[in-house]
Parts: sequence; structure tokens; C-alpha cells
Amino acid sequence: MTTATREIPTPLPADSPVLAMRDELGMCNILLSALGGDGANMAAKLMFKVACTRWNLDGGYDARYGSEKKGTATDVSVRFCSVGTPVRQSGPTTNPHVLAVFHQSLIEPLQLWRGLRRGALCIVNSHHSPDVVRERMRLHSGTVVCVDATRIAAECGSRLNMPMAAVLCHQLGFPDHVFRNAIAKQWPNAAERNLGAFDRAIGEATRATFADDGRFAIEAGVVTRGPLGWRNMLNGGTIDALTHSTVGRDNRIAAGGRVPEFHAESCSNCGICLTVCSDPGGLLWREGRMTGIDDRFCKGCMRCVEACPETKKGHALTVPLGISE
Amino acid sequence: MTATIEIERNPATNTKCAQRTIIANGNEAVARAIVDIGYDGEGYYPITPSSEAGEVVSKAFAAGETDLAFVVGTSELAAIGICAGMAVAGGRAVDVTSANGLLLKIEELPAIAGLGLPMVLNLSTRDVSAPLNIKNGHTDLYATLGLGWIILMAPNVQAAYDMNIIAIKIAEAVNLPAIVAYDGFHTSHANRRFDVFADREDVRRFVGPPPFCGTLEGKNGRFSFLDVNHPRTFGPYMNDDLINSKVQLDLKFEKAYQLLPGIFDEYAGLTGRRYGFVEQYGDRSARHCLVGLNTIGEAARDAVDRLAAQDRATNLVIPTVLRPWPEQEIVDAIGSAGRIVVAERASQYGANNYLANEIGAALQRRGNAATILQRTCGVGGLTITLDDALAFYELADRWPNFDDTDARRVKWYHGAWPGDPNYNPPQTIQPIAASACQYNGNGDGAASKVDLRVLSNMPTRFDKHAACPGCGIFTNLNLFLRGIDGHVCLLFNTGCGMVVTTGYPLTSFKVPYFHNLFHNACSTATGVVEMIKRFKTRGDLPEDITVIAVTGDGGDDIGMDQLVGCALRDDPFIMLEYDNKGYMNTGGQLCYSGFKGQINSNAHYGSQQRGKTRHHKDIIEILRGATPSYLATASEAHPADMIRKARKAQAVTRGGGFAFVKVISVCPLNWGMTEHGGVETVEAIVNACMHPLLEIERGITRITVDPEKKGKKVGVGEAFKLMGSAYRPLCESKNADLLAEIQAEVDHRWARLKAMAESQVL
Ligand SMILES: Cc1ncc(C[n+]2csc(CCOP(=O)(O)OP(=O)(O)O)c2C)c(N)n1
Ligand code: SF4
Ligand code: SF4
Ligand code: SF4
Repeated sequence: MTTATREIPTPLPADSPVLAMRDELGMCNILLSALGGDGANMAAKLMFKVACTRWNLDGGYDARYGSEKKGTATDVSVRFCSVGTPVRQSGPTTNPHVLAVFHQSLIEPLQLWRGLRRGALCIVNSHHSPDVVRERMRLHSGTVVCVDATRIAAECGSRLNMPMAAVLCHQLGFPDHVFRNAIAKQWPNAAERNLGAFDRAIGEATRATFADDGRFAIEAGVVTRGPLGWRNMLNGGTIDALTHSTVGRDNRIAAGGRVPEFHAESCSNCGICLTVCSDPGGLLWREGRMTGIDDRFCKGCMRCVEACPETKKGHALTVPLGISE
Repeated sequence: MTATIEIERNPATNTKCAQRTIIANGNEAVARAIVDIGYDGEGYYPITPSSEAGEVVSKAFAAGETDLAFVVGTSELAAIGICAGMAVAGGRAVDVTSANGLLLKIEELPAIAGLGLPMVLNLSTRDVSAPLNIKNGHTDLYATLGLGWIILMAPNVQAAYDMNIIAIKIAEAVNLPAIVAYDGFHTSHANRRFDVFADREDVRRFVGPPPFCGTLEGKNGRFSFLDVNHPRTFGPYMNDDLINSKVQLDLKFEKAYQLLPGIFDEYAGLTGRRYGFVEQYGDRSARHCLVGLNTIGEAARDAVDRLAAQDRATNLVIPTVLRPWPEQEIVDAIGSAGRIVVAERASQYGANNYLANEIGAALQRRGNAATILQRTCGVGGLTITLDDALAFYELADRWPNFDDTDARRVKWYHGAWPGDPNYNPPQTIQPIAASACQYNGNGDGAASKVDLRVLSNMPTRFDKHAACPGCGIFTNLNLFLRGIDGHVCLLFNTGCGMVVTTGYPLTSFKVPYFHNLFHNACSTATGVVEMIKRFKTRGDLPEDITVIAVTGDGGDDIGMDQLVGCALRDDPFIMLEYDNKGYMNTGGQLCYSGFKGQINSNAHYGSQQRGKTRHHKDIIEILRGATPSYLATASEAHPADMIRKARKAQAVTRGGGFAFVKVISVCPLNWGMTEHGGVETVEAIVNACMHPLLEIERGITRITVDPEKKGKKVGVGEAFKLMGSAYRPLCESKNADLLAEIQAEVDHRWARLKAMAESQVL
């Protein structure tokens, strides 16, 4: 249930950004932006506990729990400070020094650049270069570290949290062996796969630092205030379905780009895929005909592929090859 | 067990007990305290954000770390009733809850207090509202103020642990129950470094064995119900004498007020951690004071420091005991402030706020004319941070010199916004016409042929939700609704189904939809269909509307009584239960419908337990005795069968009767199974006769899909193999005895079902 602080703590290596980046309250604020099911919570909790016990840090770990289902955006806030610094704030970090982005597709919808501090450290799951990602991140100044975590996780058979946590811990100046040991201990059955992903991620990450070149401004953190407030919210918080339907919403991040391929020429319009689809909005069924997949709402579950009677014959529906992210 | 013994009290020691530093969250801190104290029992029912506190205790039980009786009730009311039973029997009982759970058990609260039964209720605070919100707020806490419970506040994770140990001690000293309130999410889910007793025995020495001590003047003590050699009547019917019982309650609070400082001292002596009635921070002589409970107060400490660094003296008061109300201590802590901002995570609508009123009255009784400004804040997902606290001090400083008239109000809301007056979004969908939903043949409903291809033209009554990939809820619901023609109104119980479809301000539903509470969609539907009948008779409602209430299997645990009521009255609507064998929305706790041996977040494997301990509930057989018009089970692996049953159910409700349909629904997330494997898995469950497909029309049972006759019957192990990691232990040879037991139970139920189907009388 808990980790006891039995080991004798040693000082954190002096060049760790955790010591250099501190806010007015003495905290180094780290935000992990991920999707439900990525394992961000577990990895961050492990990092927090190990770092606190090993290097005698204090701080807090606050996850944005709720009813988040797999595939919905979630975040985890970790703050580190020296022992003796009071830890009084709770809840998510709005001004991170360090940001770990588990899916680059989250950057724009969540406006992840907002609230980032000057000289921030951003670790992004991306196969692109730090230069490309810096543009996407609209980073005022700081360091971008890119790692193709989705590919590494898939190829090593780990969850996404392994390559991401590896690069995060490494960049925070935490000696690699400490977390390798902790991971092996925490998930003994998956140790080999996890450690494979861990090592590859650290080896393959690319890093670049960007000075304040005036290209992007520091922007204030996101405050969610919709156009509906206490003056115009309908009685009792009622929703007008005709004007506030989810039909227009883009849920593409949930499937992470893994959407089945549809080949109309092999389809017999039997309707079975529609019967088994995770979301009746995921399939485009028009006038008695199957016409394709709505990638804005397909959840990527592949139930339809499994059920399609034509798949064996002509591949009406197939699982896409490769990893698109 | 003997009653009325003066227990031997520990001599108060000044020796510090060894402490150990750990890192855990508030719920884990509470669980740790529960295990350290060594309770006799815990009545439990899950609700966010407190659920985990019970889960951790249940895990410790499975692992043999504690031997307490951990009982999962059918509801929060049941859970605390179980605690009342434990307490009256002389046991030491504890409970954890939040929000709606607290309100559901509230009837028991004054009863336990009135009966003088000490116990501890942990309240992980959360707002209670419609529209539903699961985040923080103190609506639940404030509902308990006048119920006769001691109320201790835990502003942080450390205090959540400590206050639990203090709570049981003071509760038992005065024979009153006690609440420990810690903030949902901000504390319950916050991982922090804190200290606990290194040796559990030190905690047990501090609290001592349950004392059957006299409360007032050495008399009126607590007795044991189990003292058969000296029988007593507990909870008599009382008339005019009741007022004397009220006096006793009040005097017990006076006594608690006298005893608490000593207990706080003793605790400080043991641990070095000092608590009191109130925490005062900053400068008592400052002109401005902020009063805030729990995490509001915690966050505001940084504001006090920040302002002090700018040479601005401010005062901060964090009440840590609400009952007994420490009036003098609070007034003293407020000191000489002339402006007091009371920031509360709740509002007393149409009146001044709770704490503000109590503080105002306290000051007035002492001739203090300070101005009190009230701000409701930090409810729902909103947090209160350093910046908000700074804004409160700013308010104290500047009030009433604001341009904004709302900001000049004495009572107002911090963090609310008015909205954009020019917001006028376009219409994005068309209402579904009844004529567009006629794919069920020419009025002969159930009898007409099921053609999936034709039915694919049925407009979807909902789509584009946020459930996990591969979730069975919506495949089932979508399929079922294709068998329903015309207009539909949907009602949902709380659960995954509602949470993922109606995240404000958008809805996935294209037909009228109503979520009321977790347990009463069926009763609500009864109200709706009664009005449909009435308005139709009056000629005010031309449309033919089919009302469908949707629930998880959990909703039919907590709402079982109401469901039986609807069946007994044969109310004309359809109740559709998606059975995913757990309380999935709250993190996979056990439902009575789950299989024996299944792993749940509150049913683990260990030396003392192997997962869920009893066999799956058969809701159909429970309802059979209520003799409703139609009962059925269906599966998404048998679409034609499901469509036929949907049509029949609709025909039954049109004929004025109640139809209950239960579908089996995979939960890839909590079952730990593949996302694409839903249909195959469900088929295996049906073939293993673990979810037999049947219907019962006016008492006559029919098996509609018989795997045995088709030669497809498989053992339950075949299904468990596909059902994922929650069922994995059942596939391991070391649990072969469990598997055999489940097989025997399933075979027995199947044999009985066949006998019923063959008979016209059974
Ligand atoms: C009175 C009350 N108690 C507890 C809860 C918390 N709660 C909300 S949904 C839920 C579980 C729902 O389980 P189920 O009906 O099986 O639906 P599922 O989540 O599996 O979809 C619980 C325990 C509540 N909202 N109200
Ligand atoms: S299941 Fe396959 S063949 Fe049938 S409609 Fe869907 S894509 Fe076409
Ligand atoms: S992958 Fe899943 S959600 Fe997407 S179309 Fe197929 S069944 Fe529907
Ligand atoms: S947790 Fe389970 S029941 Fe809930 S949405 Fe996810 S898969 Fe469906």
C-alpha cells in the first residue's frame, strides 16, 4: 500500500533540472498529458515515490481522476521540492516547468503550450524532430526532447508509459539505474519488455534547445470557461440536443489513428459491422449501404473487423498496418 | 462479552511513539488508520472519491493483514446499517463515503447518534447536485451539521490519518459517532509524504479496547446488545421523553469539547503532531482574515506567507472541529480582523452560507461587529489555489469598491462566469421523426422477420459517445433500440452509460434523455409513464412514446427495491439492464451479479480471500416472483433474438405492462480483455449457460437459445478464458475447486431453468 522510506537517501545529482527549475513556492512542476489507459498515472506515481525516497525530495502527486474512460484525455501533476518546503497546494499544475506529452495529437486540442514556463522542458512522443515539434508546441523557449514512444512501446511490447517515463526520468537527471530497478521490481512479469523499451527510448531520444527568439509568446494557463454561464445556462443545466450534439465533436485522439480500412468493393452491406460497432457513430451507413468509417468517432476497437463476414474473402474491413500517430 | 466495564485507560505517556514516513494519498491514509486501529468491521459501498479507502482495506483483508469484517452492502444506507449493527453488538465499526452516498445514509445518522453508538464515518467530501458532478464540494459535509455527530476536519493527508485515530478515541469517550471529513480529490487522491505510527500496537494502545464507559456523570453508558444475561431494549418508541434524549446529546458534545484538548495533547505527546479545535495562521492582529475549511485553508497559507513577505499582515483561520462548535476558539483565532472573508465549498441558496452564519453569530454574541463577506468557491472541478486565496484577501481589502455589482455583493460566487450573451449556436441535428423509425414490419412487431440489413436504416437514437473502445454498453443498447420503433424517451441510472454520453455542454442523445440518480431511473420512469397516461387521456399528448430506463447491474443492486416495485405494479415501460458484472464507473468494485472468484477492486486474492465470495445474483429469478408482464435476457451475439425481444418488450408496454430485459455487456477496461473480442466472449458466456437466453411471458418460461440442443454448450472455464484478467485466477489449476463450484452452480440453475421451460406450471 505504501513505500517506506527505509533506504538512506542520497542527494540528487547537482545538475538535475528538478533542482534548477523552481517556482516561487519552491516547487518544480511537472505535467504529464496523456490518455486514459496509457499508464501515465502509474508511471508518474512510481517516479514520485522513488524520487522522494531516494533523493529525499518532497512534493506532491495529484492526478486528475474522474470517470475518465480509456482514450479520454487525462493529466497527472507531479511537484518536487526540498524536504522542509511546505506542500500546501493541491490539484493540477497550471504552469509546468516540465511537460510530458504522451500523444502529439493532444497538443492542439488541449493547447498544451498554454501555461508553459520560460525555458520549459518538453518531452513529446513524436517521430518528428525537435524542430518540427517546437513549432507545434509553440514553445517560447526551452528544450524539446522527442521520442518515438508509440513505436518503441509497440515493438518492445510495453505500455506507452515505459518509453515516456524513461525519457522523463533521464531528462530530469535521475540516474537511469534507479528507475530500471524500480520498474523491474514493480512489474516483475513484464520486466524484460519494459526495460527494453526503457533503454531504447533513452538511446533514441533526440533533443534540441531553443532560445527565446521572439517567435512564440508565453501564454497564460488554460481556464475553461465555456460560452454558457449562469446567465444563459438552460434551466437546471438542461442541454438542447438540437444545438449541442456530440455529432460535431472530433474524437480522433481516442483511437490514436488506429482506424480500420474499408474496401467498398468487397462489402456486401450485410449490416453486421453496424451491429457490433462500439459507437454507432463510428460507421458511415448511408441509405442501406456501408460507406466507410468516420475516423472522428471510430474508437479503433476493431470489433467490426472481427465480425465482418467478408474480411476473410475480400477484406472489406482490415486492421491498418503500421502505427500512425 | 460483558457490558459496562470501565476500561483500563492507558496512562498518558510523554514518550514519543516511533513514527515512519510513508508516501500515500488521503484514501490510503484513511485505510491505513483503519487497519492500524484494528476495527472489528467496516460496512462499505463504493462512491467516488472515497471508494479507494475501502478498496485498500479489502485488499489488506484478503492479504491477511487485518481480520475485520468487511461487508459490501446493497447501498450506502445498507452499509451504515451494517455499521450500526456492529456497533450495537459492541464492535468497533467504520465506514467511508461521499456525496450522494452520505445523503442516502443520512436517515441512519441521527439514529446512530441518538442511540449513543460510537463509530467513525470517513467523508471524502464531494458536491451533491444535479447535474451530476463527482468532484469536490462540501454540500455533503454541511448536511451533517445538525445530526449529532462529532465532526473533525482533516485539511491534508497527514491529518486524514491522524484525525481518524483521534476520532474513534473521542467518539468512544463520549458515546457519540464521529465524522472525519477530508476533501475529495484534493486530499483523497493527493499523494504526499507523511508520518504514521511505525508500530500498529502503539495506535491500539492509544485508542484502547472499546470502552463501555459511562458518558455523563459516570452513568448512561454504552451497553452490548449481545448481553443475553442482562437483556436491554435498544431503540424504544419514545414520546414526550424525547426532549431529554436531545439534552443528553447536547451534554455529550459539551463533554467532547472538554475532553478533546486532552486527547489532542496526548496525541501530540505520542507523535509530535499537534491538532486543536482550529488552526490559526498569520497575524491575529491583522485587519483581514480568511476563514476556509480543509484544502482552502491549506492553499491559503501560501497566500499569507506571500503577503507577509510584502509586509502585509493577514490572518487565516482553518476550523478543524465543527462539532462540537468551538466558538470561543474561533473567535479568538479571528482576533481583531474587521473584514472576514468566509470561503466555502457550498452555498446555502437563498440564505447566508453555513460557516459564515455560525461565525457571524459567534462574533455577534461577543459584541464583535466585523464585516463578513461570503464566497462560495471551489465546487465541481474548480480548485482553490494560492491565487484564489490572494483574491480573497484582495476582496477583504477593496470591498465594496468594485465596478462589478456582483463583486460588491456580501454573498457571491468566486469562479462563476455569466456566459457569452451573443452565443447562439446553430442547430446541428434534426429531431428524429417517428415515421423514420418504422422498420419493424407492419405493426405485427415481434412476429415480423428480423432483417439486420433493413434495420440498419433505423436512425440511431444516440451516437458519438466517449466510452472505452469495445465497451458492450452501447453495442447492446444500439442493437436493442433498433428493435424499438417510433418515439423513445430514455432514462439512465448513474453509471458509465450516462457519464460518457452527456458531458456538458454536449449530449450524444438525439431523443429526450433524463438522468436522475444512481438507483431510481425505474421509479422516475414510473412517474413519466403515469403522466403519459394522464396527458393522453386528456388528449394533450398525441405522440405514442416508449419509455426505456437503462441501468447497469449496479443500479439494480442499489435500486433493487424500486425495480421490484415497478415489476409489482407492472408499470408500462421497459427497463434495460446492461450487466457488466461490476460497478465499472467507479473503478470496478463488486456487484452482486459478478461471478464468484472474480477479481474486483474490492475483492482480491490473498491468504484470506479468493475474489468475490458468493455466486452471481439472478435478477430474473428475483423479479419472477413480482410477476411482471415480461422478463427476458438477451445478448449482442444473438442479434435476431435481441431484436425480437425488444419488439416484444415494446408490445408489452404498449399493452400496459412492465418489461425487464437484461443484456450481458463486456467491460474491456475492468475485465482486462481485448477490445475486439466482445461478441465472441458474449457468445461463450451464453454457450456456457452463464447467461441463458430466455423470456418469461406472464409467468411462462421459454428458453430462446439453447446451446445444449445445438451442441454448443461449453464449460464455464471456456468463457472465463475469454473474459480477461479479472477472471484469470479461475483458469488457474490452484483454483480448480472454485471453478468446479461455479460450474455446479451454473449447471444447477440451467437444469432448473430447463425444468421451468418444460413445464406450464413452474
Ligand atoms: C447513492 C449513490 N451511491 C453511489 C454512487 C456512486 N456510483 C455511481 S455509478 C456507480 C456504479 C454504477 O455501476 P453499474 O450500475 O453497474 O453501472 P456501470 O458503472 O457498470 O456502467 C456508483 C457506485 C452514486 N452515484 N450514488
Ligand atoms: S460487416 Fe463487412 S461486409 Fe458487412 S456491411 Fe460491414 S463491412 Fe460490409
Ligand atoms: S473499429 Fe470499432 S469503433 Fe471503429 S468502426 Fe470498427 S467497431 Fe466501430
Ligand atoms: S469502464 Fe467498462 S463499462 Fe465503463 S465505459 Fe469503459 S468498458 Fe464500458
